[in-house]
Amino acid sequence: MSSITLYDYELSGNCYKIRLLLSILGIDYQKQAVEFYPAAEHKSDSFLAINPLGQLPVLVDGELNVSDSHAILVYLAADYDKTGHWYPVRNATRLAQVTQWMCFADALTGSASAARLVDGFFYKLDGEACRREAHRLLRILDEHLWFNEQQANQWIVPGEHPTIADIACFAYTILSEEGGISRMDYGAIRRWTDHVKRIPGFIVMPGVFPAGPAV
Amino acid sequence: MIDIEAIRKHWHPIAASNDLPLRHVFHAQVLGRELAVWRADDGNVNAWENRCLHRGVRLSIGVNDGTELVCQYHGWRYANRTAGCTYIPAHPADAPARTICNNTYPVKEKHGLIWCTELPATTEPLTLETADKHIFTPLFAPSVNATLAQTANGLMTHFSVATLAGVNPVNKPLRRINDFTLSATRLPDEVDHLVLYLQPANAGRTIVRGAIATKNALQGIDKIRLLKHYSVALNTCRRKIESIVVQQPAPTDWQPMIKRVSEVNSTMPEQTVLTSHSTLRLQVTRIDQVADAIKSFRLESISGQLPSAQPGAHIDIHLPNGLTRQYSLINGPGQTDHYAIAVKRVTDSTGGSEVLHTTLKPGDVIASSAPRNNFSLRRDAVHTHLIAGGIGITPLLSMARAMSHAKLPFTLHYFVTNVADIVFKSELEQLRGNIHFHTGLSTTLTQEKLQDILRDPLAHHHVYLCGPAGMLSAAIQTAQDNHWSDAHVHFEYFKNTTQRDTSSSFTVELARSGLTLAVPTGKSLLEILRENTVSVPSSCEQGTCGTCRVSVLEGTPDHQDVYLSDTDKARNHCLMSCVSRAKSDKLVLDL
Repeated sequence: MSSITLYDYELSGNCYKIRLLLSILGIDYQKQAVEFYPAAEHKSDSFLAINPLGQLPVLVDGELNVSDSHAILVYLAADYDKTGHWYPVRNATRLAQVTQWMCFADALTGSASAARLVDGFFYKLDGEACRREAHRLLRILDEHLWFNEQQANQWIVPGEHPTIADIACFAYTILSEEGGISRMDYGAIRRWTDHVKRIPGFIVMPGVFPAGPAV
Repeated sequence: MIDIEAIRKHWHPIAASNDLPLRHVFHAQVLGRELAVWRADDGNVNAWENRCLHRGVRLSIGVNDGTELVCQYHGWRYANRTAGCTYIPAHPADAPARTICNNTYPVKEKHGLIWCTELPATTEPLTLETADKHIFTPLFAPSVNATLAQTANGLMTHFSVATLAGVNPVNKPLRRINDFTLSATRLPDEVDHLVLYLQPANAGRTIVRGAIATKNALQGIDKIRLLKHYSVALNTCRRKIESIVVQQPAPTDWQPMIKRVSEVNSTMPEQTVLTSHSTLRLQVTRIDQVADAIKSFRLESISGQLPSAQPGAHIDIHLPNGLTRQYSLINGPGQTDHYAIAVKRVTDSTGGSEVLHTTLKPGDVIASSAPRNNFSLRRDAVHTHLIAGGIGITPLLSMARAMSHAKLPFTLHYFVTNVADIVFKSELEQLRGNIHFHTGLSTTLTQEKLQDILRDPLAHHHVYLCGPAGMLSAAIQTAQDNHWSDAHVHFEYFKNTTQRDTSSSFTVELARSGLTLAVPTGKSLLEILRENTVSVPSSCEQGTCGTCRVSVLEGTPDHQDVYLSDTDKARNHCLMSCVSRAKSDKLVLDL
């Protein structure tokens, strides 16, 4: 029995980020399903005892209880990835870039994910405003990735190896169409999602399709 | 107002060349029409209607396997160039009808951009040409939420560019070349020209595809700085344009007409046309000696795109001496720019191979039918066993190439008299499968080897056989003796060497046409049908290829073909109208 437990909801992009990294790093874990919709178990007394914020995911590893998808990504990469590629703690420049793009991913959660909550989970938010903001962000990400391509870099933080910034930005980018946000005009983003899908250990979730093999 | 139907006839940029790396599918839109754009491994760029013919799912989320585009939903596969469907996983035993073909649009690659038009265009895209030898470097292409005119006017009004150091801005340098093209000359930092091609993606969305022309190629960090500099200038314009446009009512999206594929075409087998024999004109562009007494012929269309074929398909070639012969295509997947066949010169030949070997030369034009496939490859087998005798390798070669590319597990057993008889030996050895050559085996040893190969009829294993009649009959018998199901043993004979008996006479009732016809001694059913203008396609006319298959509703056929398996023959539900007759006095046919 593995010591890691992930409190998980299958349709959550934030939970998907964790499942994705766990799979890529080949870490054993067990899932504890929490029904976000329609049961709203994440607001139940028993779950609030685990995370008073009432948010998914939560990762429990031995004595550690950590919530917030990006904090969990940082923990897993820093502790379980012995190569140090996924979270480059010893490289100040790269660390700053990773952190910057993880904050950007939070903004995607507030826009692209929010639009998906409106369309798919009947949240009472301003869907149009969410979509406008998501497009503003995706334009920035697309141009960033396009310039990286011009310099033969295929990841969000330039370098040979992907980082947890790629995982963090991937989830709600690839699910954007479920919130009515087309990625048609974001060619560089579409190529980058192919690269992410070809990382060994990549897994899908409902609404995410696998890429074919590269040449 | 622009006349949208008129400008559909123009060339429009839809992507940059470097938007299309191998094994990627680009999602484009022009004049409201969505396109799935992908580059095959041979470099060909495809621009297709962005929907699968099956359930309408966008093909832009599909998989580009280098030779075919595979729909994400139910796995329908479409071939490079033709967009013809090559395989439907839900119907693994059937070759898809040739009429299942997606809409394709002409594409040209020029100045680092991919151009597309909706008409079969012989013209060239209107790119800006400069007198000097310039190098065009494409800019980042932003999409602007504004109409074509709003974007053009906004750029004319607001675009300005300073030096990299940020001084001496050049304001309003753009001139209008036409509705879709703006250009400026003599810009700072030795940029001689700037050209902006406007792609009308939709009524309210325009993509600005720019390029800068310099005398020397831009490189390294200088290139990036300059590209960023122009990106900033375009982004500034975009903010100004959109801040004004957002206060105005949005235009209605354009609704492009999508040419429909008829219900009949999408669900029925291809229609039977009596005179479909020699619809294609093919030019011999290459002849190679590929083994002892075997030549391969590369045949290219002299007008338009060739229809797509699948592994196992054959074409009827009309030879200069008046003969018609069937040859299996040996093409690999995605090789849709030509047909390839391999022909062995046979000494006792009635003339087909002799003519091809001795009189045909590069440049000659011959007539051919479109490909037909009565020997189609299932791709759902756990393992596929290909067993070839001599030149019987040809249909199996095409299958082996397809399975190797798709990484499907297969074994090829290739029986030949001499090593010198092996075609494409080095390529075969490179294929991703188990390849075994069996050279110079006696009849007994061949029989033993077949027994060895066919010992275990494992679940979901399939066998494909092609070769000389003796070997084929032995292999089929061996499979039966080892309890292989007929449904798992697929075969194709070169010719029907059985003794045929045309002594019977019988009547046929055609259930659909309401005709009753008498078939006298000495005449074939097919001949009688033709004389009465009942359309049945045919190819070999000797009971080997399966093209003239007719469904039987009542009566007992007298099967004289070598196409149907024993199981199919016993079911009495169909017959080959070219050779088969009736045991009962009357047959009722579904014609």
